[in-house]
This record gives sequence, structure tokens and C-alpha cells, in this order.
Amino acid sequence: MKKKMRVLWLSAIACNGNTHSFLNYPYIEQFLDDFEFIYHPVIDSHYTLEDIVSKKIPCDVLLIEGAISKEFKRVDVSVVDIIEKYSKIVQKIVTVGTCATFGGIFRESGYEETSGMHFDQDKPSQKFQDLIDKTISVSGCPVHPEVLVNTLYAIKKEAILKLDNFLRPKEFYAYTIHNGCTRNEYFEYKVDNHRFGELEGCMFYDHGCQAPFTHGSCNKVLWNEVNSKTRAGLSCMGCTEPTFPKQNLFSTKKNMAIPENLPVGVGKRVYLTLAGISKAFKIDRLEKKLFDD
Amino acid sequence: MIKLIEKIEGEAKLNFNFKEGKIDFVDIEFMSTRNIENILKGKNAFDALVINPRVCGICGHAHLIATVQALESCYDNLKLSNKAKIIRELTLSFELIQNHFKWFYLTMLPLFGHKQQILKATYPSQLMGKAIALFGGQYPHTSYAVVGGVVCEITEMDIIKLQLYIAQTVKFVEDNLVKTESENFLTCKDADALLDYEGDLPDILRQIKKDGFLEHGKSYDRFISFGQNSYFKKGKSLKTKVIHNISVLHVKESEMPSSFAKNVSFKDKYYEVGPLARAMVNKTPLVTDAHKKYGDSIFSRILARVCEISQLLQHSKKLIKDLDLSEESYIEPSIDISKLSSSGYSAVEAARGTLIHKVEIENGMIKNYEIITPTQWNLSGGTKEKQGVSQKAMVGLSDVKTAELVFKSFDVCSVCTTQ
Repeated sequence: MKKKMRVLWLSAIACNGNTHSFLNYPYIEQFLDDFEFIYHPVIDSHYTLEDIVSKKIPCDVLLIEGAISKEFKRVDVSVVDIIEKYSKIVQKIVTVGTCATFGGIFRESGYEETSGMHFDQDKPSQKFQDLIDKTISVSGCPVHPEVLVNTLYAIKKEAILKLDNFLRPKEFYAYTIHNGCTRNEYFEYKVDNHRFGELEGCMFYDHGCQAPFTHGSCNKVLWNEVNSKTRAGLSCMGCTEPTFPKQNLFSTKKNMAIPENLPVGVGKRVYLTLAGISKAFKIDRLEKKLFDD
Repeated sequence: MIKLIEKIEGEAKLNFNFKEGKIDFVDIEFMSTRNIENILKGKNAFDALVINPRVCGICGHAHLIATVQALESCYDNLKLSNKAKIIRELTLSFELIQNHFKWFYLTMLPLFGHKQQILKATYPSQLMGKAIALFGGQYPHTSYAVVGGVVCEITEMDIIKLQLYIAQTVKFVEDNLVKTESENFLTCKDADALLDYEGDLPDILRQIKKDGFLEHGKSYDRFISFGQNSYFKKGKSLKTKVIHNISVLHVKESEMPSSFAKNVSFKDKYYEVGPLARAMVNKTPLVTDAHKKYGDSIFSRILARVCEISQLLQHSKKLIKDLDLSEESYIEPSIDISKLSSSGYSAVEAARGTLIHKVEIENGMIKNYEIITPTQWNLSGGTKEKQGVSQKAMVGLSDVKTAELVFKSFDVCSVCTTQ
């Protein structure tokens, strides 16, 4: 029998959204042939959580879901202690989702010094400094199942992954959510009259869409294999980034009518100049309904 | 003796007190909290649409629908198209269905000594996830329902895809859960006749009978359900008497010293919520027949939950026929949220039962937010004199393993502890 890679799925302060997002991975049968969970929040495992915290079960990869605080315990043991114990024996640590990576929504959950494993929002955290070389982050609220699973296969294969400054695989996080959005033309040509409930329009101008400055592959590797939030007409909430969740998420913050946050790497002056020119196009096709009579 | 209950969306600690070899009292402790209610305070009211689905990874969509309805109840004369209402109801039903599959195949089957059937859980729940994503962009954690409607526009092609996901899920039910045409399952009025069918559900129900578990899991035989929609009725059921005129205003939360989950009562009494409660209030013939024969035992509870899969699939097909694609998906509210100071509440049916959200807004900002989850109704602990629903259901059992089965038959979600 071939050797399965042993994985510990540890939940800290979490909603279990990553757990359920993972269950949406389409080829789970094959995955479970190649990997074994020594513990998982819902999938049966050979060991109980009590075994995990009281003993040191052989393990190859530690997955952490949820924000981390010394005060938060599983079976009366601090998650920090559990992480420290297993981090010594595993090859790799993966922070799964935005809470485990940056603190996310549950950073504000009221536990003492809650943050992600290596980052408190965008600030590096000193807590697990010696483990930084072992860690890969797959942020997102929740993580995309393909991003998680394919990263695990890369670890199994010992492939060398290029990581960004937040330890995220560039393969998935070098893109912006804007890449591949079906509403791109409304952005490119500055057609700025979006209303909710329509196939047409871009949510960047008024409805807080963060896709042009959020890193991830949502519009490249579709969700549930069928769609993405921005394609459906919902603004990107920036859920893969250290700043998630920002405030006032459904409206675009502007200074003198210019969006405060511009696409990654785009300067304000150039943006203004180009926006002015783009607007001059007045493309009839984009001013009308997409399915015109 | 203390037993840690795992694999329940978090964990809970049950402290069993035995008297003459039988369980006399069980102290239930949920060991952690996520404090979502505090996180919401001071935030822009619409941000709750993004934060609240993140209360829970498995019933987050119910939290979204509860949030949008609570916010909408703060407005006077808010307009909502029938199309938006139907789309919301569809996606909520799909979440209930995926949750039921996961509970049956991942949680229940192993407790009956069977191997966990991961693919039977993930295959149909992935189909339901696709159906939600078709409208909401993704599942879990979309925020596609906004005040005034839904953000998506749908086309004939979307409907065609949706119908295929539903048909494929129905086929899964017919090939696995109850091996007959769904029509037969849906029209079956005799719980014993169901045992003559093949399938994973009749297998478990037969096993309950064979193992002498028919008396297990009985509680107060009082049911309540607030989340009214085109399928579920609002009401309470005492044994078999149903009263529909009930008000959320009589629902009260109270603190328990040992646990993070507050108790919830209606007029000072504990009620069971969830699929069995809904079926009793709706008077679903197959479930009321099971109840007549086997009371509020695990037999009826499991049957009611699996039965709801087929009912909701059938109802969804009907709802799709009622959709008028020419209607608007979204109607902009006439007043800007920043000018709104008001309060409101909502009640929706999540997979595990009634979910209540209450909100207070001041100039568009959240002043106060309260969430009452199904787990609080069914599983929070009371005192020995006045026991909670699941506590009472475990009294008199002689072993901890059976008690765990009874406890999990209510389906526990401890990540939903929001206070």
C-alpha cells in the first residue's frame, strides 16, 4: 500500500467555514486515497481530539483553521501549545483561511491577543518566528478548496512553491480577483452605472468591489466549479487580504469622486488620465442591456 | 463521568450523573464562544451581511437570510419582488438539504456502527452548493441577499442548470436514501410501510427498531417553529395539537453559569426546534404517523430530517415554476441606511431549527445585535429541576454511547455560540 500523507486539521477560533469549503473539493475520493487525516473536525479519524492533545501522533502536515489566541483551548489545552507540539514534528504548516493567516473576522472575538499565526493583520507577529520557513498560507474566507488541496499536493510532491510576502503561493495569489471577472469591460471602459440585480455593470465605482486590489484566483478557479461573487453581481469583499473585514463593505470609499483604493500598482494621476480617455469611448453595447431586444 | 463530544462543529462536554445504573442528569457545557454579537456593534448595518454568514460554516446561509430579513424589518414600506423572495427561499432550502445529507452520512451513520460515508455526504451536498453558487457566486459564505432583494440576475440558462442540479440530487436520493421513486416516499403516510423499502434511511430505521432504540431520545414532546415561508408554517405543537398564533416576543434567553450557550425558552418552557418540529407544525403525514407510533424519539427525529430533503427538493421544483424572470431582482430602498434609526427582527428556519436575529440600528450603524441559534433551543443545558430538551432526552439511558447518539440526533453546532 502506498504511503498516505498524514494531516492534522486543527480548528482554533473558527466558524468551520474552511472545513465545509474543503468538503466541496470535487475529487475528494482521490484525495482521501493520498492523504489521511489523523484528525478532522467532521471526517472520522483514527484518533480522537483527546489523543491529539494528550499524545504526539505522527503527522506530516499541520493545518490550522481559525484565529489563534493562547487563551483559546481545545480539550482544555491552549491551541498555541498544540501548535507548538506538532509544529516540531511536521514537514509543513498550512494556515487555512484568513483567520489563521491574518486574524480575520475572529481577530475581534475578544480572546487575549488574537491574531493569525504569523501576521496580525498585515503586521508580522513574533509568536511563531522560528516556524516561518515551514509555513504556507492559503488565505480566503473561506479558502477555495482547490487552492487548499493543490497546495497540499505540492507539499506531498515536495514541489518548490514561490510564496508572496504573506507566505501565500503565488500560483494562486499573484492574480487579482478582478482577473477573469465577466464584468471586466464595464471596468475597462469606465461604465459606472452599476445597479444590483443586473447582469451588467461593475461594482468597483459605487458598491465597494475590492477585486482590482485583492489577491486570489476566484475568477480563475471558479467557486463550486460554477461561479464567483463578482460574476454573480456581488462585490469582492477582499476576504483574502490582511485587512479583511474592512468597514462599510458595500460602498466605495472615494476622495473627490476618485476611488481611494485603485488597482494594484496603478497611480492616481495615471488612473485619472486614463479614466478620462476610456470614458470617451461611449460604447453603445455596454450602455445597453446585455441581452438586447 | 465526563465525556467530550467531538465532530459536532466544535465540541461540547457532557458531564453524566448516574443513579442506579441510569443517567439521572447531564450537565452540558459548550466550551467556547465566538462573540459575533460584540463584533457587530458599531459597524455599518450592511456589514452584518458579510460578517454574519461567518457565524457558521455549515448554516451560514441561514444567518445571511436572517440578517437581511432583520435589516429589512427595520424599514417601513420596503419593496421586495416576488422573484427575489423565491430566489432567497430556494438558496436557503438548498443549504438545509446539504446540511441534512452531511448530518445523516457523516454524523449519524457512524453512531449506528456503520462506516462514515463521506462521498455520499459530499456528492449531493456539492450539487446543492453549486445551486447556491449559481445565484450567490459561491458557497459557503456568500452575501448575495441584500436589503431590497438579491444582487444576481438570472437567465433561462441558469434555470436549466439549476433544474439539472436538483434532478441529479433527486436521483441520488432515489438511488441511495430511499430506493424508490421520490413520489412514493413523498406520499407515504405510514412510517412502518417505509421500512419495507431498501435504502440507507430504512436501514437505519430498521436498526433502531431491531436494537430496541424506539424509546430513546424522547423529550418534552413540545415543538416550536418560527421561520415562516412558502413551505414552513409558524407554530407550536404540543403532542399533536398545533397552534399557529405565536410571537417571537415571548422567546427569552437566559444565562447559564456553566456554559457559553444561553438557554432559550418560550413562555418559560423549553421546546424542541428542527426538522421534527417543522414536520409536526406542518402536519407532514409520514412524520406525524411516526410520532403517533414512536413519539419524539430518535426514530421520528431522524425520519423527519431525511424526509425534509425530498420535500424541499420537490418544493423547490414548484418554486422555480413560480419564478417570473421579468421581475426585478433588486429594488433600491427609498431611504438610505445612514438615515435609518430603527429596530427589527427576523426568524428563519435553519437546518437545525429556528434561528432568530434581532437588530437595533442608529443612523445606519448597529447599536445592538442578538442572535438566537437552534443549538440554544435544543441543546443548552437547564437545571436538574428544569432540564433542557436534549438533557431530558438523555435521562434514563444506561450508557454514554447511546446518550451521545441521542445528543447528536438533535445535531449540535457549537461554533454558533455567538454571544
